[in-house]
Amino acid sequence: MFDEKDVLLEAKHVTRRFPAQGGRELIACNDINLKLYKGKTLGLVGESGCGKSTFMRFLVWLDRPTEGEVIYQGKDITKLKGRELHEMRQHIQMVFQDPSTSFNPKMKIRDIVCEPLLNYGRIRHSQKDQKARELLEMVELPGDFADRFPHNMSGGQRQRVAIARALALEPEIIIMDEATSALDVSVQETIIELVTKLQKEKNITIGFICHNLGFIQSFSHQIAVMYLGNIVEVMPGENMAKICCHPYSKALLDAVFDTKMDFSKKIDPIKGEPPSPLNVPPGCPFQDRCDKCAAICREKRPHLQELSPGHEVACHLFSKEGSV
Amino acid sequence: MALLEINGIDIAYGKQVTVKDCTITLDQAEICSIVGESGSGKTTVIRAVLGLLPGGGKVTKGDIIYDGRSLLSLNAREWRKLRGHDVSMIFQDSGAMMNQTRLIGKSFVEYIRTHEKISKKDAWKKGAEMLGRMRLPDPDRIMHSYPFQLSGGMRQRVGIAMGMTYEPKLLLADEPTSALDVTTQAQIVRQMMELRDEYGTSIIIVTHDIGVASYMGDKIVVMKNGQIEDQGGRKHILEESSNEYTRKLIGAVPSLGGKRYV
Ligand SMILES: Nc1ncnc2c1ncn2[C@@H]1O[C@H](COP(=O)(O)OP(=O)(O)OP(=O)(O)O)[C@@H](O)[C@H]1O
Ligand SMILES: Nc1ncnc2c1ncn2[C@@H]1O[C@H](COP(=O)(O)OP(=O)(O)OP(=O)(O)O)[C@@H](O)[C@H]1O
Ligand SMILES: [Mg+2]
Ligand SMILES: [Mg+2]
Repeated sequence: MFDEKDVLLEAKHVTRRFPAQGGRELIACNDINLKLYKGKTLGLVGESGCGKSTFMRFLVWLDRPTEGEVIYQGKDITKLKGRELHEMRQHIQMVFQDPSTSFNPKMKIRDIVCEPLLNYGRIRHSQKDQKARELLEMVELPGDFADRFPHNMSGGQRQRVAIARALALEPEIIIMDEATSALDVSVQETIIELVTKLQKEKNITIGFICHNLGFIQSFSHQIAVMYLGNIVEVMPGENMAKICCHPYSKALLDAVFDTKMDFSKKIDPIKGEPPSPLNVPPGCPFQDRCDKCAAICREKRPHLQELSPGHEVACHLFSKEGSV
Repeated sequence: MALLEINGIDIAYGKQVTVKDCTITLDQAEICSIVGESGSGKTTVIRAVLGLLPGGGKVTKGDIIYDGRSLLSLNAREWRKLRGHDVSMIFQDSGAMMNQTRLIGKSFVEYIRTHEKISKKDAWKKGAEMLGRMRLPDPDRIMHSYPFQLSGGMRQRVGIAMGMTYEPKLLLADEPTSALDVTTQAQIVRQMMELRDEYGTSIIIVTHDIGVASYMGDKIVVMKNGQIEDQGGRKHILEESSNEYTRKLIGAVPSLGGKRYV
């Protein structure tokens, strides 16, 4: 379903370690291999703190992996510098998880949304007013908001400003880190209609981090599930609920609050202690919380193996080298 | 008698009236969920209850009665006392609001020590224990971290931990779980429900997650454009209401295996 010649960006064996208190080491991303395909969306889901933002930040040069590379047009982009990096940046834009911290509080919204366009000489100063208005209206904000400061807006309004700014450059790749989590479902729907429409017209590649499974599966071509720094399952976006098979992916699905759920049911969260990235056990990262954990899971780390085209899982239950 | 009565308030930023004629009453141990349009005034309303409207924001009409007395006439000292003991808030942007150049542990210890006379060491222990209850691994590592060293959802949980340290009578939670994965969210929702069940805490929770709003709320308030559009129990909002905006909102809730855009 995905053609290898359409791979636009590929992460190879990407690992990120952070030094931690007491001379210890924190592994935020552990040997990650992922592909982003031209014009397609990769949805990334997983437990809070499992390394999703850390991974996406490599793609926009906010951080560098300790090991591994990210290949784009034959080059490892994590090593770009100077002129080349500046040129490249306009092709990959990111919408951050905390939009309020990524804005200069002293700048008006007009200047914030037009800044990248001016930086790359795409518009003249005289066009700023008109362009700002257009961009704001595109994300369902009144054009007059151009005169406001970020702190005079609601959380969801600021988030939409960040989206407008990232879309302004019409980049080849957009990374959205929980870019719609502060929006009501109705505005969220409008935004995703807009984004998917632009994606089809301009063949944009998207990396989208999101906690809402129903939402992310509504527009992702592939979905990757991450746990404690590891990618544990990658699958086609449609039918996630039916085809996912990693025990962690299944636990995620069970924890969804749905409007059709049984409201008298007591919440039964995933058992076991939350895992620590300071203390990644040998073997499977999910071993302590998995009710199917066997001896091999404590010894050997399962690697991603293909189950069907586009569907890979890292779990000994599905291992081809013999059953558990 | 209700614990909290928001009586027909208007709230303005400068001259711009942003919230119009808002009325919400909340009994002891009752949970009210507020859902609605982005920019409709949800944060504004709950900030007003705590007297924490940002500069230029003011309640211009109506009254807010807490435990029998008007909150609008409190002086600074009385506010501090109330926020310390009875009412606490989890902010929408708690991660961004933290002092970025201070260790989480330092901020937490200071917070605890404004609430009770306790040694720094014990305050540290208490803080770390609260972090553990929010499903944060290695609480001690978190205490020794700066905000930028934590993930978005971890920072949000530090904010929740602070807001829940002193079993408040009234908890105002502004999108407390928007940055959390579903399993962690389930755990936090459970903790909030336990606060209500065990200590009789009344809760107002603002959320975009209609599932969470329905699960938690004894009643649900729907806001749009500065006004309350609709309110009622779960069944009313999810199934019965004929309000156009409510239907639009419920219709837009994404579900697994539902609509696809690509
Ligand atoms: N600069 C840093 N220094 C030290 N540790 C860091 C740093 N940045 C991230 N970490 C750690 O790396 C881990 C992964 O963080 P990351 O922000 O990638 O998580 P996430 O999956 O995006 O979580 P969330 O869903 O909560 O946003 C966390 O344990 C975090 O504390
Ligand atoms: N400090 C401020 N000065 C002026 N206007 C403001 C200020 N804060 C918010 N507003 C405006 O008041 C309205 C209500 O904002 P509020 O933050 O209460 O919305 P909200 O319902 O919480 O939205 P969201 O779901 O996006 O967080 C918005 O239109 C916003 O632009
Ligand atoms: Mg993150
Ligand atoms: Mg808000």
